[in-house]
Amino acid sequence: MEGASTKGVLSHLSLLEVQARSRKTQPQQPSRVKELKAKVEALLTQRDQLRAEIETHKNLKKLRASMDKWCTHEEEEEEEEEEEEEEEEEEEMDEDSENSKLLRLMARHTRLKDLLHAHHVIGGYNVIKTRQGKGMCVSLATAYEGVYLETYNLEIDLKPTVRISRHDVPPFIPLKNLAEQSSVQTDIRTLLDPLSRDLNAFAGRKQQLKLVKELHKSVEVMESNVLCSLLVLMFTVPKEKTLVLCSLDYTDRTRCLPTRVHFKCDDKELPDSPEWKKHRSLLMETPVHKALITMRKMGNIV
Amino acid sequence: MDDSTKLFLQRFMRRIPSYMLRTTLEKWGRLTAAQQKSIDFTQSKWALTEALLTICEENKLAMKHLIELEMIYIMDNPNQGMWYVLQLLDPEDDAHSVELMQFKEQFKSHLKELVRHVSIKIKNHTDQAVWIRIAWGDAFSRPNHLKPTFGVHYLQTPYVFVTNLTSKQKPLLSQAVVLSTRYQAIKDANLSGRKLTAIRDLLMRKYQQVFPTKYPSPLAENNQTISNPHIVKEQAEPAANRLHMACKAFGGGALPQLQSAVYKLKTKFRDDPNKTMTEREEPFRCVVKFESTNLLESLRHCASSGIASTPVTPLLSCIPLKGRNYFVITDNDSGPSSQTHQPQN
Repeated sequence: MEGASTKGVLSHLSLLEVQARSRKTQPQQPSRVKELKAKVEALLTQRDQLRAEIETHKNLKKLRASMDKWCTHEEEEEEEEEEEEEEEEEEEMDEDSENSKLLRLMARHTRLKDLLHAHHVIGGYNVIKTRQGKGMCVSLATAYEGVYLETYNLEIDLKPTVRISRHDVPPFIPLKNLAEQSSVQTDIRTLLDPLSRDLNAFAGRKQQLKLVKELHKSVEVMESNVLCSLLVLMFTVPKEKTLVLCSLDYTDRTRCLPTRVHFKCDDKELPDSPEWKKHRSLLMETPVHKALITMRKMGNIV
Repeated sequence: MDDSTKLFLQRFMRRIPSYMLRTTLEKWGRLTAAQQKSIDFTQSKWALTEALLTICEENKLAMKHLIELEMIYIMDNPNQGMWYVLQLLDPEDDAHSVELMQFKEQFKSHLKELVRHVSIKIKNHTDQAVWIRIAWGDAFSRPNHLKPTFGVHYLQTPYVFVTNLTSKQKPLLSQAVVLSTRYQAIKDANLSGRKLTAIRDLLMRKYQQVFPTKYPSPLAENNQTISNPHIVKEQAEPAANRLHMACKAFGGGALPQLQSAVYKLKTKFRDDPNKTMTEREEPFRCVVKFESTNLLESLRHCASSGIASTPVTPLLSCIPLKGRNYFVITDNDSGPSSQTHQPQN
């Protein structure tokens, strides 16, 4: 500061100004260091994490490989055997038993996911080899609204040609026609997929009929058929006690919803009234047992 | 009431068991509550018949009302008489959308075209079956209500179950059914039995069948009795195998009750020591008939107990597989052929 006294107050002031200006840039440096240090920490932990993941992955692969090997050698394997083998493997791996248990679980999880994916790829059917590979048995499950219904089975010969030898599909499902129309020799799913669609639609319609009978006792089922492709119901209108005959045609057998809804009533005006027109479109778009609930809430049927 | 109506009622009363009478009359609904109460069902059949006759005359009931009564009784008790199955072939495009009213009208009009005097009554049953009662007459006589034919059909299936159908009446009924169901032809299904419900369940596959799935449901008849642990069954595994193959061929659980299976053989005699018979050129004609109160159950037991060899021969397993119990076996084919069978009445 010797210079300041020789140069005077103004020059001292300008020196201070310069110092103040440079101080603004200066404070970044120590925090910059802190920042960089923090970054180093983060990268270090990330590196450790990644190393641990690689380690786990390697062990998982080893486990999976041994699991798969055992499963291809013995198709119908007992749970105990699988665990036995894994116990042997355990000795070769980490001492930490909790780790290995976790790894076993993870290996099982990935294996199950792969199996599920394979099941999905073949169309979701349960298939079993029979007659030492010369035949197979396909199980087609049906479900409606989240409830599993009947399962149908097809026993198929694969050699010399693909041919259905036995089945428990009811006679009103045109299995023979579907088989003839499909290219079952090259791709069996051209038969299974349409058949499953028909069976599921049938199961859905049958379930709807059952629910109508259970939930709507005031609605009388006048006519139905074994294929459940035709349904005639009798409604009673609450106030005047008029009867309305409702026929539902399910001509598209691959669907659970009707293709045609028709009302017949002594009162000729009724089917054309706006309320009942709404009911018609409701019945065309919603499953019948649900549509009836709505119709009852609207007060148009008993 | 005229004499023929009276006779009909008398015959009907003789046929119906007493314990069924009250419920059948109630279902019929042609008696007032007072009249129904007035009948003493503990009387003898003869007395009951007289009582009923008086009531029917009071209500001015005619033949057409009485045949309703008969139909109600038969529909509730279908497992009597002998039922035969006819199979419809080659459906037209609109066969799957034939509905009840259409079928009724078409059947009646077609049959009336073929037979001048005929009385047809069609009713639909709760299990979606269509029941047809036909009393046949001809150009000169009125319909005979004492020998009616009954037919049962499930729409959208190819089967028609008939009882009391003579060979003369058969082509007439067949034609009417084919035209009204929109199929092109009809043939014998070669299946017959006393129990309508059994042959129907067999054809509709309504019994428990066993398939080689990974998680089969446990077989109902596989009673695992707690055995003495000191006793080891040597034959346990072969016995289990036989049971499994028997169930696979015939089914698990309760099986539809067939009464007989007939095999008509037109094969050459095969027995090496017997030179005189084996030297003959022509086939050795013989008929083999299996009879039982529950044929499929018996055959399954034969297979599971080892009397019949397993795997079950296709000659036996094709009874449930093809839904037939009449077969003609010739030398040319390894399995039973499908030849027609004339139902005898």
